[in-house]
Amino acid sequence: MASEREGDGDDVLVARMGQGDEEALRELIVRHQDRVYGTVAKMIGGAGPDAEDLAQQVFLRIWRAASSYRSEAKFTTWLMTVTRNLVFSFCESRSRRREVSDVVLDEEGEELEIGQQPVIERNPRDDLSGKELVRAVKLACAHLPMKQRLVVHLREHEEMEFSEIAQVLGVSELGAKSLMFRARENLKNRLAEFFTEPK
Amino acid sequence: MKMTRNDEGDRLGPELGRLWAADPVAKAPPWFAAKTMARLRREEEKKRGWLGLPRWALIGTGAAILAVGWLRWESQPTVGDAELFAALDAMVEEDREIRWWAGL
Repeated sequence: MASEREGDGDDVLVARMGQGDEEALRELIVRHQDRVYGTVAKMIGGAGPDAEDLAQQVFLRIWRAASSYRSEAKFTTWLMTVTRNLVFSFCESRSRRREVSDVVLDEEGEELEIGQQPVIERNPRDDLSGKELVRAVKLACAHLPMKQRLVVHLREHEEMEFSEIAQVLGVSELGAKSLMFRARENLKNRLAEFFTEPK
Repeated sequence: MKMTRNDEGDRLGPELGRLWAADPVAKAPPWFAAKTMARLRREEEKKRGWLGLPRWALIGTGAAILAVGWLRWESQPTVGDAELFAALDAMVEEDREIRWWAGL
């Protein structure tokens, strides 16, 4: 019985959750925790207690909405939509207190304010895998508007189709592609110095 | 089907993609599932009140009892002013008559 259940698809697990099966939720968490946690961390600027809290909230929402879930779209699209809603609300409330885009975490998890970044004195191409590169990428990512950041993450890391990304963001497919285009241009401008080949 | 990075129209492209990947995506901590399940149970427990009944059921029952009590109180028979003063007048009149007979 247990081995049969191990192979259950996401939709089956959600149906079991709708009937109050907590074990189904646990299985779903184990399957998708890295996807949700990684997305949240990327969106809010780093891993930590906030990312953990938000990722937990995503799964609790999924649990509560399971009984009304209709599998019209892929489960991961629904999961990412719930994640987006929570992350965007979190960032909006945080930006009321401070300018969220101005904050980026360094390697030690400490916040770096934009405009107060240490000046890179040596040629960044000398150490492309070094801290400077990671810091520059984090900073470039933090400068991207929320929707652009999410599109890039979902496309590059989650390898989602634009039709799915469009559903997650509540925009048209063309709109999602346009966000990707603008994100790419923004990133090119910010990370130009790290390009190994001339543009 | 896994897509390749050669279609720059849809993706970051090889150069930007490599740079983007330099900042790896965080993985969930090992305790994540256990903590989420514990939080779920804690929140479900919080939603329950006495005798394992959901809190909303207890609040609803309490509100219903108060509403019924209030309605019953409101529907009690009332004595109008005219009736009340007529009864008092009758008592005063009767008292006066008794006093007259008693020679007071």
